[in-house]
Amino acid sequence: MPTTLQPTEVMEPDLDDQSVVDRPWVVLVWNDPVNLMSYVTYVFQKLFGYSLEKATELMLDVHEKGRAVVASCGREEAEMHVFRLHEHSLWATMEHDGPSS
Amino acid sequence: MALRRRFVAPIEAVRGGWRINLDDEERNLLLRLITELQALLTGPDDNELIRRLFPVAYPDDEEKEVEYQRLMREELVASRLAAIESVTRTVDPANAKDLLDEGETIAFMQSINAIRLVLGSMLGITDDESADAADDTDSPEHHLYDFLSWLLEWTVRSLSPT
Repeated sequence: MPTTLQPTEVMEPDLDDQSVVDRPWVVLVWNDPVNLMSYVTYVFQKLFGYSLEKATELMLDVHEKGRAVVASCGREEAEMHVFRLHEHSLWATMEHDGPSS
Repeated sequence: MALRRRFVAPIEAVRGGWRINLDDEERNLLLRLITELQALLTGPDDNELIRRLFPVAYPDDEEKEVEYQRLMREELVASRLAAIESVTRTVDPANAKDLLDEGETIAFMQSINAIRLVLGSMLGITDDESADAADDTDSPEHHLYDFLSWLLEWTVRSLSPT
């Protein structure tokens, strides 16, 4: 490593990158023809602590609209949710919230 | 199976735990299925039948997906095998436990569901249309699928907060 100071290129924070970092991740559950509606509702209640009403609403979104956002959080937490949903064999994925830049 | 079905749920929450009300024939059937599931999970990774048990986490990002699977797949296999091990213990008619605790009941639920998914893949149930078609099909496999659905429904019910 040189001991004399040399002009170095200053890294300007890239605003686009920053917004990518700050944008939360969303955990999605997709419709599939095998998982029972009651089972999906139960898993949502158990993993996320949702009320029966909220869990049922999300389950119906999955069933009727094809998918639902079940959580919005940081990446690490989202991965944990995805893993636990996969343990219950739900078809879960994660992606950055909003349009990607 | 006979008439008692009309009067006794296959699994129920009772004081101090959960009780499985299945006869030996049904228990042995579940044991066979769970052993087959175990064999599939410890076999080749790329078996089509178990693909549905290992969903993609990052469909839009191949790099992150590879990393995720590298870290998590093994853990997911281990988790499924632990559930299977628990079910093997609790279902075996030779040494069946009187009562299951919550963890054992959840392991039971997860494993029944995993078998349903594998069976669903075998039966070609890939969308709502093929699921409806399967409802109208009469074969031993479809009956088995219905049996597991029925059992799962009751398990969920027994676990659901009242």
